[in-house]
Amino acid sequence: MEYTHQYSWIIPFIPLPVPMLIGMGLILFPTATKNLRRMWAFPSIFLLTIVMIFSVDLSTHQINNSSIYEYVWSWTINNDLSLEFGYFIDSLTSIMSILITTVGILVLIYSDNYMSHDQGYLRFFAYMTLFNISMLGLVTSSNFIQIYVFWELVGMSSYLLIGFWFTRPIAANACQKAFVTNRVGDFGLLLGILGLYWITGSLEFRDLFQIINNLIYKNEVNLFFVTLFALLLFCGAVAKSAQFPLHVWLPDAMEGPTPISALIHAATMVAAGIFLVARLLPLFIVLPAIMNGIAFIGIITVVLGATLAIAQKDIKKNLAYSTMSQLGYMMLALGMGSYRAALFHLITHAYSKALLFLGSGSIIHSMEAVVGYSPAKSQNMVLMGGLTKHVPITKTCFLVGTLSLCGLPPFACFWSKDEILNDSWLYSPIFAIIACSTAGLTAFYMFRIYLLVFEGYLNVHFLNFNGKKNSSFYSISLWGKKQVKQKLKNKKFLLAFLRMNNKEITSFFIRKIYSHRINKNVKNITRLFFDTPHFGNKKTATACLSPNESDNTMLFSMVVLVLFTLFVGGVGISFSQKEIDSDILSKLLIPFIDLLHKNSQHFVDWYEFLINATFSVVLTFFGIFFAYFFYKPVYSYLQNLNLLNLFEKSVLNKIIANNFINVLYNWSYNRGYIDVLYEISLIASVRKLVKLNYFFDKKIIDGIPNGIGITSFFLGEAIKYVGGGRISSYIFLYILYVLIFIVIWY
Amino acid sequence: MNSFPWLTTVVVLPIVGGSLILLFPHKGNKVIKWYTICICLMDLLLTAYVFCYHFELDDPLIQLTENYKWINFFDFYWRFGIDGLSLGPILLTGFITTLATLAAQPVTRESQLFYFLMLAMYSGQIGTFSSRDILLFFIMWEFELIPVYLLLSMWGGKKRLYSATKFILYTAGSSVFLLLGIMGMSLYSSTEPTLNFELLTNQSYPLALEIIFYMGFLIAFAVKSPIIPLHTWLPDTHGEAHYSTCMLLAGILLKMGAYGLVRINMELLSRAHSLFCPWLMLLGSIQIIYAASTSLGQRNLKKRIAYSSVSHMGFLILGIGSISDTGLNGAILQIISHGFIGAALFFLAGTSYDRLRLLYLDEMGGMAIPMPKIFTVFTLLSMASLALPGMSGFIAELIVLLGIITSQKYLLITKILITFVTAIGMILTPIYSLSILRQMFYGYKLFNTPNSYFFDSGPRELFISISILIPIISIGIYPDFIFSFSADKVEAILSNFL
Repeated sequence: MEYTHQYSWIIPFIPLPVPMLIGMGLILFPTATKNLRRMWAFPSIFLLTIVMIFSVDLSTHQINNSSIYEYVWSWTINNDLSLEFGYFIDSLTSIMSILITTVGILVLIYSDNYMSHDQGYLRFFAYMTLFNISMLGLVTSSNFIQIYVFWELVGMSSYLLIGFWFTRPIAANACQKAFVTNRVGDFGLLLGILGLYWITGSLEFRDLFQIINNLIYKNEVNLFFVTLFALLLFCGAVAKSAQFPLHVWLPDAMEGPTPISALIHAATMVAAGIFLVARLLPLFIVLPAIMNGIAFIGIITVVLGATLAIAQKDIKKNLAYSTMSQLGYMMLALGMGSYRAALFHLITHAYSKALLFLGSGSIIHSMEAVVGYSPAKSQNMVLMGGLTKHVPITKTCFLVGTLSLCGLPPFACFWSKDEILNDSWLYSPIFAIIACSTAGLTAFYMFRIYLLVFEGYLNVHFLNFNGKKNSSFYSISLWGKKQVKQKLKNKKFLLAFLRMNNKEITSFFIRKIYSHRINKNVKNITRLFFDTPHFGNKKTATACLSPNESDNTMLFSMVVLVLFTLFVGGVGISFSQKEIDSDILSKLLIPFIDLLHKNSQHFVDWYEFLINATFSVVLTFFGIFFAYFFYKPVYSYLQNLNLLNLFEKSVLNKIIANNFINVLYNWSYNRGYIDVLYEISLIASVRKLVKLNYFFDKKIIDGIPNGIGITSFFLGEAIKYVGGGRISSYIFLYILYVLIFIVIWY
Repeated sequence: MNSFPWLTTVVVLPIVGGSLILLFPHKGNKVIKWYTICICLMDLLLTAYVFCYHFELDDPLIQLTENYKWINFFDFYWRFGIDGLSLGPILLTGFITTLATLAAQPVTRESQLFYFLMLAMYSGQIGTFSSRDILLFFIMWEFELIPVYLLLSMWGGKKRLYSATKFILYTAGSSVFLLLGIMGMSLYSSTEPTLNFELLTNQSYPLALEIIFYMGFLIAFAVKSPIIPLHTWLPDTHGEAHYSTCMLLAGILLKMGAYGLVRINMELLSRAHSLFCPWLMLLGSIQIIYAASTSLGQRNLKKRIAYSSVSHMGFLILGIGSISDTGLNGAILQIISHGFIGAALFFLAGTSYDRLRLLYLDEMGGMAIPMPKIFTVFTLLSMASLALPGMSGFIAELIVLLGIITSQKYLLITKILITFVTAIGMILTPIYSLSILRQMFYGYKLFNTPNSYFFDSGPRELFISISILIPIISIGIYPDFIFSFSADKVEAILSNFL
């Protein structure tokens, strides 16, 4: 097996030819390359499959005897400094690389169909492969510089992908925001790396951990500095994994095509931060302050993500906030020191979230046929509803993903989330209570999505009938506020109207819409983005269309992910009771640190497990119940209202409840006001500084030489005027001076 | 050593070849273009050949020396010679000048003079980098200003006369200090003026005098580099000049200041340098932040890129000020790296100006669809400029930062502060360079003005951008190539400070 390890430096380089060749081809022979289209998709999938086989091979080897392999080449050598490049294979690397490649392959297969009408099909594949490459490079890197290199490359690929549809101004802003926010994290990461290099003189992980451990053990180092630098390192992970202060880029990143969101949220970008913390855990674990800080940031993110997810209208943004919340769970687990639970959750969440995103992509794809290409419409959950009829397979897949993320027993996320919740009870009861209640919230918002999208009737007709996007309308179907009754009549009327309308679908309009979809002329497509009036007159017509199920290629990857979601939980469950750590994941991660179970017996207690599991499942059901309560399909709304009235007998209570709901809704809908805060405080102050600097540079620094120039010009003019060459004035001056002289003399 | 005067040939070839242009018939515009490119290419190949076969990399001493007595009575020699420090800039000069002449092909107005001036500038620059006599250094330094002035004042934008005058006043004014320093150093302690670099290296001065000399040289080089607050000529000049001139200015001219700082201030005046370097570091880190944030406020595309150059020059100053092996190596790498990146950015800005005829960023937008190739290359270069790993900018900046961290000279708190401030520049850089991208290319805009006809970059422009991109990426992947030039020389320079 030795040879496999020897050649595993090749892992990140195997897919490299694809983006290189596509890039060269697009620049040098654009038309010929574009004609080949599909020819490029297959090699990228094929190469990634090779990597997957490779990493599966590596990890089977790791299961049998987990050992660490490291090979290093020197990159630059100076007198004082030598930077190295190499690879580092341990269990973490093998797990991550399997995760990246499997999700990567499925997303690539999916996007072959999803992007097939897009002009940038090839560009998309090049970027995707680049993304996978940089992520693979990140997980195999052996020292800090290499980590930083690939870290930045991940950031760049995400920039390119989020801004993939660059004609849309929102996407342009979003990609810049993502890059700059990540750069703030990189700033911390770089400073942390430099600081640790200053303390230890090493950039290589294992040496560095050992040196730090020794130094702290012998108390030879200022603990403040080590903590500071570790905190800075953690900053990088905060930005990439969208933890609390730097999470703002994540929902905006939804401007990219949906397969990208799946990739970013499942396997690549956000996993990078978790990976970094997991990789550096031996460093963090000797610094209890940092560990507590990580757990704290984690728990804040858990709550924030969950509350922000409650009232989003955009299906993808909603999923994005749920990712943020789940990442918070992982951070929390890492902060608590339960390394295994965090990685387990990373894996299960990755598959479930990839499934959800691909499902939402499929939904969006089918909605686009109805409402057009505008993401404000096709991703808007308010316009969806009742899609069960139209997209049954997608519905099933999405339901599986939802159930998994909610944490219901047979599905993957249940096992990992339960483990984290269990561990949190051992860590701190307060954190545990928050984490558990947020698990209920998770169920609530996930089922909110599910119900809004798949239950009831297709709401897109309402919008078209009304003709304008009325915000009160959202609030009614989302929250059931004041104007319920009058609207309800309206709706009932609408429904009747709609059923009539549905029958008279004219093929003419279908053709017209499709001609727009397939039209490769970007100008036309972009006009669709912006020209709402152009679309407006066809609204009643579009309403007659019904969404279609996606193609088989897309369904295939979703179904595969369903299988993953069903069975991936198995890697972390120990089936036999007698043997300790008999599951695969534990085998992989045996020698690793476990803070919480240090004292307790390392034995799986089924009884305790059952109690905990029941508790969390009950919480989940509670959440689901609430979701049903609020988002019951429209046609049974009246009964629902009665139920509400039963619950809230006094008027006062109702007002309070309404107020509370409103506040929560506003908080959530406005993204917790954090973006606004950043806008007001940071961006405005940077703008002020820029203006000040510009003024300073132009008026003062540039003003001085200009002023000197102008004064010398005037001086010259004056002298020229005086020295005009008129003899009479010379004589006059001469006599004047003589007179003055004489006057002074006497 | 060897009998053939290679360096003299390299220096003289362009200007001699250039003066032949004036003999050409006036009509043959195309002939002149290709003739000029041939001269440039010949010179570049000659340089490469000489460096390959007659230069030993592991020797820190001066090589390929030539001594010809020029003016007898004050001991003035035509003295050339190169070492590891000047190797990189000379190759960079050849490379960038060749590409700039290729980029200048659309210039039709008085093309004879234009190409002659380009070639004259070429000679002057190589002469500056390879002279071993301090007066010759000065002469070459001044000689190279004249073509730049003419290039600016004849082939520029609307405010070209203003900016050309500003340029010449700034540089000529700073040359006064340079001359004063040179005179003082050469006349000190002997009746015979010593103008030879080797002899001057071993000379020692009283500290006060050394500081005065140092100040003089610093002002001269600070204008050229530029170092704040003497930088304002640069955005004006770059904003107005034709883009091929801009390539030369950003690619080579700015590097002369940095080269002079290392060559004279560090090598000859090491005692004063170790006194001044904390201030240099401070200035450098302020410059990075200041120029980056000023760049954000600019509306003019070229000025914004110009300020980004100023900001990147801050790293150079930091590297020079750090007085550590790593830091100085990083500074030299930054010289080369920014030479490529800056030149390429100006080239692209110029080509897109040719198409759009718009100067201000807020008027642009949505150019990605009509010109995808320029968009691609521009994206790559912005990434290079914001120090994306895998490109040369990243490794240079990283090594400078590592140099600051490992520097023995400074107190801990200074190092932390400087690194911190510098790293803030790392956040500001993507803000401005990605804003350029966003404002120019992203979004969507209908170009229905009648006279705007777009075509994507043709083979010539594509060739230029790719040939600049190749060294940027290859240095980023294999920086040892540049380090192998300079490492020994850097060690020799730093041995003065121990």
